[in-house]
Order: sequence, then C-alpha cells, then structure tokens
Amino acid sequence: MYRFLSRTVCAARNSSVIVYESCVLPAKCEKAMAKQTEEPVVLMAEDGSTTQQQTDVKTEPVVEKPTEAAIDAAKSGKQHLLDLLVAMKVEVTSKKKFKGTTIKQNYESIKHPESKSEAMESTISMFQKATEAASPPSETLEPDLVAAASAAAATLPDSNRAQSVLLRQLRERKAITEAQKKGDMSKLGEIIADMKVGRQYSRQKPSASSQITFDDDERGYTRDRGITGELVGVRRRRNFFLAKRLNIFSPTTEDDAPTLWDMEFANNLSQVTNQAPRNGFEEMIQWTKEGKMWQYPVDNEAGLEEEASVSFHEHIFLEKHLEEGFPHQGPVRHFMELVVAGLSRNPYLTVQQKKGHISWFRDYFQQKEEVLKEANADLN
Amino acid sequence: MAAPGRHVGHYIQRNGRFLLCNIEQVLGHRSFGWTPAVRQQAAEVNQELPESIVIPKKKTWSKEAVLEALSSTVGRDPTACPYMFQDDPFLTPRTSTEFRMFALSQESGRDAAKFFINSNPKFFTKDFAEPHIPCLMPKTVSLVLEEVSEEALKERINLRKVSAAVDMYDQLLQAGTAVSMETTHGLLDLICFYCDKDPAEEEEPQREDTDSDEPKPKGRIHRASDFIKLTWKENNNAERIFNLLPERDTRCYSALIRGMVKYRAPAKAYSMYTDMLNNRVTGDVHIFNTLISSVVHLRVNYEARWELVTELLYQMNQQKIRPNILTFNSVLQTLRRCGPIGKSLSLQTVSEMKALGIAPSLATYEHILCLFHKPVAQKQYGADILQEIVSELEGTSLTCQDPNDVLFFATAMRVCVDTKELELGYKVHSLTEFGENYKLQGVPYQRSTYYGRFFNLLCMMEHVDAVLKWYRRLIPSLFYPNVQGMMDLLQCLDTDNRLDLLPDIWKDIKTVGHENKSEVVEEVLQLMAREKHSPEVQESFATCALDVKNEFEVKRLLQWSNLSLSNVTIVLLRANKTQMAWEMLELFKSYNRVPSKEVLDAFLTVCHSDGTPQKAVELVQAAAALCLLQTPTLATRTLAEFDLTEEQRAILTELEAAGEPSD
Repeated sequence: MYRFLSRTVCAARNSSVIVYESCVLPAKCEKAMAKQTEEPVVLMAEDGSTTQQQTDVKTEPVVEKPTEAAIDAAKSGKQHLLDLLVAMKVEVTSKKKFKGTTIKQNYESIKHPESKSEAMESTISMFQKATEAASPPSETLEPDLVAAASAAAATLPDSNRAQSVLLRQLRERKAITEAQKKGDMSKLGEIIADMKVGRQYSRQKPSASSQITFDDDERGYTRDRGITGELVGVRRRRNFFLAKRLNIFSPTTEDDAPTLWDMEFANNLSQVTNQAPRNGFEEMIQWTKEGKMWQYPVDNEAGLEEEASVSFHEHIFLEKHLEEGFPHQGPVRHFMELVVAGLSRNPYLTVQQKKGHISWFRDYFQQKEEVLKEANADLN
Repeated sequence: MAAPGRHVGHYIQRNGRFLLCNIEQVLGHRSFGWTPAVRQQAAEVNQELPESIVIPKKKTWSKEAVLEALSSTVGRDPTACPYMFQDDPFLTPRTSTEFRMFALSQESGRDAAKFFINSNPKFFTKDFAEPHIPCLMPKTVSLVLEEVSEEALKERINLRKVSAAVDMYDQLLQAGTAVSMETTHGLLDLICFYCDKDPAEEEEPQREDTDSDEPKPKGRIHRASDFIKLTWKENNNAERIFNLLPERDTRCYSALIRGMVKYRAPAKAYSMYTDMLNNRVTGDVHIFNTLISSVVHLRVNYEARWELVTELLYQMNQQKIRPNILTFNSVLQTLRRCGPIGKSLSLQTVSEMKALGIAPSLATYEHILCLFHKPVAQKQYGADILQEIVSELEGTSLTCQDPNDVLFFATAMRVCVDTKELELGYKVHSLTEFGENYKLQGVPYQRSTYYGRFFNLLCMMEHVDAVLKWYRRLIPSLFYPNVQGMMDLLQCLDTDNRLDLLPDIWKDIKTVGHENKSEVVEEVLQLMAREKHSPEVQESFATCALDVKNEFEVKRLLQWSNLSLSNVTIVLLRANKTQMAWEMLELFKSYNRVPSKEVLDAFLTVCHSDGTPQKAVELVQAAAALCLLQTPTLATRTLAEFDLTEEQRAILTELEAAGEPSD
C-alpha cells in the first residue's frame, strides 16, 4: 500500500516511474504469493545497501524527494501519508488508488499474516528500487530486475544458477551501456545532472511544500518549451531556404542521378554567389558544409550516425519483440517486460544491440523450455 | 491461488491506468515523457477501438541551424577589417590590388596544400580526428583499377580522366564487352564537357564550391582561356563513340549538343538536333536551353533569330517538355541581340513565364533592364521598370538560379546613376542588405563595380553629410574606391563647401593607395589652394601640403607639375610657413618649373606683411633668374610698396627696366 501511495506521489512528479511500477505490479503479487522464505531477505539486504548509495548519488532529485517523504510516512504511519497525499493535490485519484491498495493489503495480510511487516518493508524497498530504476544505471543492477530475475529463476529447478546466468546477461548489457555511454556523452550527462541537483538542492524539504516545487517544475518546463519553440521557428525558416535551393540544384528532377553538367552548373552557381565569410560563425557554417568540422550539436543525436535512420519508436516500443518466443504470462514474461522496459529507456544501445539482447533471452528461455513447462504446470 | 492474485494485480493495474489518465487530464498541458509500458497499454486500449496510433515522423535538423542563428546575431562593423583578413594584421590589404593579391595567394595556398596531399597520400595516413572527418584525408586521384572492365571505366569517369576513359572504352569494345547505357552517358558527358581534352592538371576538376570567392577570377580566367583554345573538332572521340552506339537516346544527344554549343560549333549542334528529330527521339530541356542560347550565332538577321527561337519553343511544347527559368533567360538574352523588336517581345516572354508559374530570377530582370535602358536615349524607361522590379522584390530573400543573376545589382545601380534616381538607388541598396542577398553581388569585381556606382550616385545627388556617412560605412570595409570615386568625393566636398575635411580625405586617399595617382593629388592641392580659409584650416592644409610634398620628394611617386608646386607654395604661404615656401621656390628652380603670377604675388604680400624688403628683392631677383614675364611688374610693385634701401632700389629699377624691352 505504501508503495502504491508513494507511487501516486511519484506519478505527479515523474510519470515514467509510475509507468514502470504499474507494469511491475502483477508480478509483485505473484512474487508475494510464491514468496520463498530466504529470497526477500537476500533482496532486502541488497536493497538496503543500494538504497543508501542511491540516496547519496541520485541524479534525479525530482524523484528523490518524494522517496524520502515516503520513508518518513512509512515510519509515522498511514495517517501521515494520507495527509501528505492531500497536500499533493491528487485527491481525485488517490481515493481510487487507495481502494486498490487496500484490497491488496488485505489480500496480503490474509495470505501471509505472519510476514506482513516483512512485506511492508519489501514494498518500501520496491519503491526504492523503482526510483532507482529511473536513475541512470550504476554499477549494480536494478534490484527490481534482480527480483524479477530471481522470480523467473525460481521457476527453474536450479534457481541459483539460473538467476546468476540471467543476471550475468543483464550485467553484460549494463557494461556495454556504460562503455557506450562513456564514449562521448558521459561528461555532458554529468554536467546536466550536476546542474539539476544544484537547482533542486535548496528546496529540498521533505514536507508539504513539495507542492510549490511542483509548480516550479511546471513553470520550468514551459520555459523549456518556449526555447524549443524558438528553435522550431529557426528551423522553419531554414526549411524555406532549403526548399528554394533544391529547386536550383536539381534542375532535372526526372533524372535520378545528377549528370556532370548539373554538377558543374551547381558548382558555377555556388562559385558565383560565394562570398568570403563575414564572421566566425559563417566560417564555421562553411566548414560544416565542407565537412571539415563536426556538426554543431543541434539535437541530442550528435554522433549517433548509425542510428540516424532509426526512428524513436523502434527504440521505445520493444514489446513487439516479445510476441514470439516468450510465454504470454508468468514470471518469464514479467521478467522480460522489465528487461524491455529497461532497454526502452536506454539511450546508449543501438536498436540492433537491444534486439540481440532480447533474442539472447529468447534462446535462453527456449533452451529451458522443458523445465519451464514442468515448473509452470502448477502455476497455470 | 494464482488466479485471484492476478485478478487483484489486474485491478490495480487498471486503476493505475485510470489514475494516470486523470493526472494526464489535470496536467494535460505538460508533455509527459510516456514510457513504453503505458504506450503499450494505450495501444491495447486502442485495439478495442478502431483508432490506431500514428507515430510521428522523425524530425531532421539542419546541421547549420544553430550556427546560422548565431551568425545572424553578428552585425557588420564598418571600422573593423574584413573577417577573412583578421588572422594576418600585417598583411591586411589596403587597396583593391592588395586585396586581390591576398585573396589569390590564400586560395592558391589552399589549392597547393590540397594538391600536395592528394598527390602524396602515403604521407597523410594518420587520422587524428575522432570521429573521422573524411574530407581531411587525401582523396584518391590516381587510378586504382587496372583491369579492363566497366568498373574501371566508371572509375576513370568519376576521376574525370578523359583520355584514359576513352581508351578504356575502346578496349572494352574490342574485348566485345557491352557497356551499360548509364556508363556510356557518363562517358559522353565527360568527353563533351571537356571537349575531348583532359582537364588541366593544376585546375582541380572537383573544385570546392565553398572556397572563398577569390579563386573565381582565377578560375574564370583559366576557364575562359581554355574555351578560347578548345573548339569542337570534327569526328572527335565523342562523335566517334556516339556513331558507334547501337541506339542513341536523349541523354546521348543532349551531351553532344551541349558540348558542341559550349565549344562553339552551334551549326553542328543544330544539325545534330535535326538528326535527333529525324530519329524520332524527343529532346530534353537542356538541349533546348543550349540551342536557344546559340541562336545568335546561327542567324544574323534579327527577325530570323526570333523566328528560330519561337520555332524551338513550339517544338518544346510539342514534345511536352516543361521549360525552366534558364530557358526563358536564354530567350531574353537572345532578345538583347535582336535589335528593336526585343523590347516588346521581352515583356511578352516574361508574361509567358508568369503564366507557366516560373518566377523570374534576377538574371531575367537584368536582361529586361538592359533591353530598356539606353543611357543616351531621350526617354528613360529603365528607371520605371527598375522601380517596378524593386517594388516586387522588396523584402524577399533571393536565391541564385542563373549564373547571370549576379549581374543584376551592378546593372540596376547603373540605371540609377544614369537616371540620377537617388531614392531608387537607396531601394536597390536596401535590397542587397536584406537577408543573404549580399551573396548575389557576385565576384569582387562585380561587387566593387556595384559599390562604385552607388557611391558615385551618392556623391552626385546626396548632401555631403549623408555622403560622408555612407563613405565611413562603405570604405574601406566593403570596397576600395577607384580614382573616379575619390574624384567624385572631392567634387562633392567642393560643392557643399566642406573643404576643411580635405586633410582627412587625403589620409584616406593614402590608405587606399591613390596617393600616386596624379589627378587625385592635383585635385586635392587645387582645392586646398583655391580659396582662403580660417587660420586653423589653413594650418591643417599646410600640414597636408607638406605631406603631399613628401610624396613627391621622398617617395618620388610623382612628378612635380607647375600647378602642384604653385599650389603647395600658396598653401604654405597662407599658413605663414614662409621658410618652407622659400624652399618650395628653390624646387621650382631645380625642377625647371615656372611659378605662376599668383604665387609671386602671394610671396610679395607675405614679405610686405612680414616687413622683410630684403626677401622681396630676392624674390624679384629669383623671378628674373627664371626669366619670368612678370618680373618688371613685380619690381614695380616692390618699388612702390616696400621701404627699400638705395642699393635695393637700384637693383629693382634695373630689373624693372630689363623686363620692359622683353615685353
């Protein structure tokens, strides 16, 4: 329940976290059901340490604050949390949420009355994991994934080994990501992260004042949009010029390839109209056109030439790759959904690498199909 | 056990989605970063509904967009030296000649480096750039493929090795290998473009388009000389290969006809065209464009020329070929050489263009202006037409569509100068300053012609203060004025009585390198010496005159003339620099020049006011030594005005008497 409440808080702050959570949810229930005695303990121990680290190095403070608020709330009780929720101005939806969570809590308490407190703790830690997932990848894996991996592995007989194999593959991906990330943009990322932290830091008071920061955020966002709008205007003007120029340089539109004559004509035109650069920027434009200079980063895709032709949706909507070769439900499916969710937010891998990653799991689970069938028999 | 759990989970999940929707409605104006899970859910929902998600297309951003935005914030500083020279303050050009030299050497340095890199690729294998920058690496300019194949032929065509390509083609034919039509087209284009000769070694065939403007004059001159040398030879390789072809399509004819017209064989081109018609091959727009531009050489008679042009245009229409801007520009260019019938027909041509939805380019307007504007004609239509053109073009960003576009501004300004239309001139100039239109001012020569005419117009029609404002804005940051421009400015100063600025202008004249042009220097001296001014002005004039004298004496750039010597002396005398004036008088002697009566009179006046009779007597003696006609008059005046000793009187009387017989 706490998890869910804090998640609503989170939703107001950062939609991606709740989304992540909501896809995690069904699995959570299953996990709670098929809970093994030792597993959550292990998880918790790991979670505790990672959470400690995360709160220190967190790069997305927007999420961080509600996290702390949620922890406080968890300590002082449900009433406190409700107050907080009211302060967050999400009453309309929180009621319905609350119902849902109540049911769940009831369910949990019915099923495992003895492990209720444990479940509570684990849910809190789950939330921590969720926030962590939103933060850039660090050296450890997201506990959520670890949990899901262990859940998937639990269906296999040699669960420890299976879990480690799955986790190894995940770590491999992380290593690739880190390597590709460090390649060019790590510095920029750090700078931006630093800026954000600095900006948020002064306002960090775990109280109802978060409403104010919320508004601040909103304003900041619209400001950002204003700037982008300006750029769009520039772009549009540029487009206009482009349209005209194309008109010149391809006088023969019926010909697919420009002939020598066309090339020389275009050459002639550009020589005639060519003027010496009047300032440094014009010189840089000239160099860019000649290809002597790296292009000025006009978007966040500089240096991603091989990905230039790939549309964003290929990066984001990876669920379609789960259609074949994976079960439609169960822990394996849940694990894969988490993998896909993580991949979809990873900007450092190419689409090919993402597909490869998914197909590795496909092969892996197909190899273990027999075992899975046996294990899944009672689940279905 | 599992089922209820899943149900609960599902329920929560649904609620979660509901919550999300609500939040989204509340905060609808915020653009949330949707994550894939939600997307998927949304898609699932939509599967139930007939709608489907339309994934927006990827936006492509221009590489230069940011730089262009930044560049648009930088204004022009008329006091700064042009950007391209800022790296070399020592070599910053001050005159148009130096400018040309600098720009040419800069460009030839670049070309030399490029040539060296390309011809010695083995020394330039290290790639420092990460990510790789291909254009910094040496280009392959030598042939790699040695075997006889179509690939090798293509390589030779791409590297523009004309004779090697022809050899390869012949070898292929001998070996019985069929060459694809596309490659044949490339080969014919290549041969015809270079008239069956390899392009000159030092002239890079693939010239960088964006190199600074300076190579243009060089490139042009080179090419012009190439054209003069090269003419289309009977049965050259192009014709031979063409005749060997089993089937000839439009592209083959196009290459041949364009080559023939380019290398001045228009009659051959025309017969090739009729041959094409007989073979029932349709032409393309390039064939007609080139043929229309060659009509002038095909027909002598004005009417016959126009007849041929209309015939070609009709044939175009028959063959369903859409004309382009170049078609009409070449029609207008032909009309310029069609005598009196040109005027009315040119307007009809423009209407035809507009009917076809082809926007006229600057070259179109330039042809019309030239057709209508005759400097000597009684009635001036040129200004009216220009007025119309300018009001149409005002506030538009122009693009170059025809190489002749760059001639427009200079021609328009000539019309303004000839008709003395100052307002129109300003409008034309504001058109050049709009957006990137300045690029259409053309090569430096055309640009300086334009500015020269504009400045001429200003000097002629504008008030001196406005002229000086423009003077500071244009010179020397935009152009270096020629002698005529400087003379115009001096005249303008004279007209508006601002001669006190002459010393400043003299400094500028020295800056732009006209201090060795005798007409400018004489004019400056003349203007300084003509009238009396206030003492301060006279003082500055005297300094200036001494500076001018320095040019004559120390740098020996000019020869003293009577007038210049006299003018300098008078200026010095007016500023009471008697000693220097006496030195000037010595110069008269040493250069065998004769001082004018005014100089001597001015000297006497100074002597009188100084009260130095001895000097006056010396002056008269010097005049006598030069055998001047005015000596007796001077002697008489001295005798009358000065308080002289007996001895001096005797000398003067003698001189006065000596002068009389010679009178």
